[in-house]
Amino acid sequence: MSLNVSFLPLAVKDLPSCARSRKDEGWRLVQMLCVRTEKGTDLIYSFMKDDALENYTIKDVKGGMEIPSISESFLNAFVFENEAHDLFGVQVTDIAIDFAGKFYAVSQSEPMTVISPAQKEAREKAAKIAAAKAAKEAKGATGGSTPEAAKSARPARAKNAAPAANVPRPAKGGASAGKTQKEGE
Amino acid sequence: MGKASVIPFGPQHPVLPEPLHLDLVVEDETVIEAIPQIGFVHRGLEKLVETRDFNQFIYVAERICGICAFGHSLGYAETVEQLMQVEVPKRAEYLRVIWHEMSRIHSHLLWMGLAADAFGFESLFMHCWRLRERVLDLFEATTGGRVILSVVKVGGVARDITDDMFRKIQDTLNGIKGEYGQICKTFLNDYSVKNRTVGVGVIDEEAARSQCMVGPFARASNVNNDIRIFGNGAYGELDGFEPILDTQGDCYARVKVRALEVLQSIEIVNELIGKIPAGEVAVEMKGAPADGAEAASVLEQPRGECYYYARGNGTKYLERMRMRTPTSQNIAGMTTALAGCDLADVNMIVLTIDPCISCTER
Repeated sequence: MSLNVSFLPLAVKDLPSCARSRKDEGWRLVQMLCVRTEKGTDLIYSFMKDDALENYTIKDVKGGMEIPSISESFLNAFVFENEAHDLFGVQVTDIAIDFAGKFYAVSQSEPMTVISPAQKEAREKAAKIAAAKAAKEAKGATGGSTPEAAKSARPARAKNAAPAANVPRPAKGGASAGKTQKEGE
Repeated sequence: MGKASVIPFGPQHPVLPEPLHLDLVVEDETVIEAIPQIGFVHRGLEKLVETRDFNQFIYVAERICGICAFGHSLGYAETVEQLMQVEVPKRAEYLRVIWHEMSRIHSHLLWMGLAADAFGFESLFMHCWRLRERVLDLFEATTGGRVILSVVKVGGVARDITDDMFRKIQDTLNGIKGEYGQICKTFLNDYSVKNRTVGVGVIDEEAARSQCMVGPFARASNVNNDIRIFGNGAYGELDGFEPILDTQGDCYARVKVRALEVLQSIEIVNELIGKIPAGEVAVEMKGAPADGAEAASVLEQPRGECYYYARGNGTKYLERMRMRTPTSQNIAGMTTALAGCDLADVNMIVLTIDPCISCTER
């Protein structure tokens, strides 16, 4: 028997009914996690039964959007939901044991939403790599050396990659030595 | 019934090895409700993934916990390997499982020592830790480290083990087995141990499933959720693996499950040493995880199932790394076990979930 891992999309409005049906069908909640992205926060809920591990992803949760708690169905969710609130600023409502922002003693509110210079640089580098790859593919598709191909590749690079002057350089020794920056600042 | 009052328990307490706070609502000597709080030692280790590349972060991952350090490095490496679709050499898979099972032996011996200390059986505590030292000696001989081993890397392992060393491991573990049998006998048969554990902190199977409990804590309530049955890595090469279960769901059952798992782990190590194939122990890692690629995996740590999630962003830095540790999954079950218990049994019940708060907070 091997473990089958899958990733599935989920809408916020379907979360409570999804949790209830998982509970009724004998699944267990494995975890809930958050991923900070450019567009907001992705929430991933994992459920497991027998050899299936299903990860439901709610994409791009914006600040201020309320997420219903699933701790009514799965009490163990209260740990993850309080953590999501304290570290990512996710507004989870009706948590069974709600610490109201006092779950973790953190010196900075919502620390996982802070984009460090190193991460910003990594994201911009990734965008540049993606743009370069797209340009190369466009070049290959049009025969390689026509001026049109080169011209069509340029906007993609300019669109996706930030100007080099705006890229904050991390201090030597990583971001811990440098100043951190809130996203959007 | 007397008037309800609240007794704060922890985060500093003689029987708590880690900072966990409980607000115990009690009537007379009976606990009515327990409200847990953690958050005193949050270190933000998951955030460090932004400034350490995927090869470097493994050293951060194994510092999540000083007891299941090897397991965290293994879980992290397996997840990143899935993310990058890398196949690890067979010999490396065997070596990983051999070290992982030795970690389980040392973790359970450490826990049994702490449990013995908690119920006041100090000589038993010392014997457990004396045996554990011999497992740590094996770690030192094979990896150079006793606690932080730094032997797993993404793509395999950093060191091989020679045939002579395998013989030494087998000799040592078989030697431990004899002495451990006597310790086990005391744990499972001594009346003073039974007085403190039998019928204490009972969680039945239905409640254990409802609270999504994991690890020996769940297996003591007859919930079979041992991840090793899926045969990841060299676990798939074992001649049948059956998790150790118990139906009583009390503190004694949790002691018993862990006590028997030590013997099971010795058998697994012996079997894998007899089967380990020759060959390379690592593959060279090239490139970086693709942008938007994501992977999730689970690993049976000594304390229970641990969940790992990774997402790439096209660079050598991961966009996100998440570890959900067994204790965070067992906190809800612990509050259920505490409800209705005697105040004097709180320490025993808390210990039998084998909590690791530094793991949980990361």
